[in-house]
Amino acid sequence: MPAKEREAADERVARCVTGIDGLDNILDGGIPRGNTVLVTGSIGTGKTSLCIEFLVHGALSGENSLFISVTESTDKLLTNIIPYDFFDDKLIREGRLHFIDLSVIYERLGLDRPEFDYEEVHILIDAVVSLVREMKVSRLVVDSVTSISYRLKSEEIMREFVLKLGSILSSLECTTLLVSEIAPTGERYSTYGVEEAIADGIVVMGNLERRGDLLRTLQVVKMRGTSHSRAKYVLDLTTTGVLLVPLLKGGSIAAGGG
Amino acid sequence: MAGRLRDKLIELPEGSAVALRMGADQYFDSIRDILDVFAPQKDLDVLYVTSTIPSRSIINALEVLEIPMDHIWFVDCISQIMMSGTEKHAHTSHVESPTMLENIMLKVEYLVRKTKERGNVIVLDSINSLAIHNNTKILSEFLHIMVNNLRSKNAYTIVFSMEQYETDEIRNMLNLVCDETIAVGAEGGG
Repeated sequence: MPAKEREAADERVARCVTGIDGLDNILDGGIPRGNTVLVTGSIGTGKTSLCIEFLVHGALSGENSLFISVTESTDKLLTNIIPYDFFDDKLIREGRLHFIDLSVIYERLGLDRPEFDYEEVHILIDAVVSLVREMKVSRLVVDSVTSISYRLKSEEIMREFVLKLGSILSSLECTTLLVSEIAPTGERYSTYGVEEAIADGIVVMGNLERRGDLLRTLQVVKMRGTSHSRAKYVLDLTTTGVLLVPLLKGGSIAAGGG
Repeated sequence: MAGRLRDKLIELPEGSAVALRMGADQYFDSIRDILDVFAPQKDLDVLYVTSTIPSRSIINALEVLEIPMDHIWFVDCISQIMMSGTEKHAHTSHVESPTMLENIMLKVEYLVRKTKERGNVIVLDSINSLAIHNNTKILSEFLHIMVNNLRSKNAYTIVFSMEQYETDEIRNMLNLVCDETIAVGAEGGG
């Protein structure tokens, strides 16, 4: 598609403004509404903080937002959350921002087997979709899809899970972030490698070592429905939210900074 | 001398980037002019990036001079690398090393947001000490991005350059990025 037509098409796409200034700039205004985005990276790179901030901004702008925690209890998560200057407890009390443990959903659905088959995966998808419908959720985070994938023992089941969940949530105009934990040296962005093929977008967060310094980085590798920067940025997690600046390149690549 | 520097600074339009060329003996007088005269007169918060001496040393000097710290914030890029273990000050953020130029930009951005009710002047002390730890290419890129970013926010940027450590490369870098060079102590300059 010629550049001019693409720009016009980009403008027509409804945006889910993340509220994270740097990221919205990278994405030319925000994530196309209804996209399913894989937020991937190794531990300690800020994935969960970025996702929570995305939800908080959504709730502040009147969109119902839901965080499904798979890896740790939401009580522990909320204890360790960054004390954002813009966070307001009222968002939780008024039901605009929800935190739910997936273990509770498993328990209610009777999903207690270590491995899920197709039928159980569909039960899980239906349960998540029901929550999104009932709560009128516009922004969803699943942290992490990797932990769910441990119960999905084949690529086919994983493909079915991401594809079906993504397509239903997209039809509901729910913008979804799926957190994926990958090894720092891996070429893949997810456990099976199928998630990135199906997802509409991939945001890679990493640690970059340069001359003994460790920098937190963010890079949007793919985002359907919008033009976007593919450059690497350095980020900081602060009480004013995630801050991003361009990764400096001058002379550093030869020193191992690439 | 000091009177002329402060007059020059006051005349600067918003969003100006200035290189302040000085000798070592004019260092504290220049700091005083910026922190005690220029910034209060313009109602600005000072974001002072130090890679030359630890922020604690400058704070001690400010205390002696009875300059209030209410609107002065430090980004200290040197204390941690010295592993000196000094007590933390509420108005000081630390960057692990002067080589982490992106983190300097991030700390400045954070402080700009925290002090958004007022304007800002960002003091970079100094380009010469940053040049000890960084090559010219990356330092030029850093300065170019940071100054333009601050300019878009109508913030003032003042870059210290100690004339005895100035190289041609540093001079070229400052000429490229800054709107003006003020030679402190030189006739008509400060």
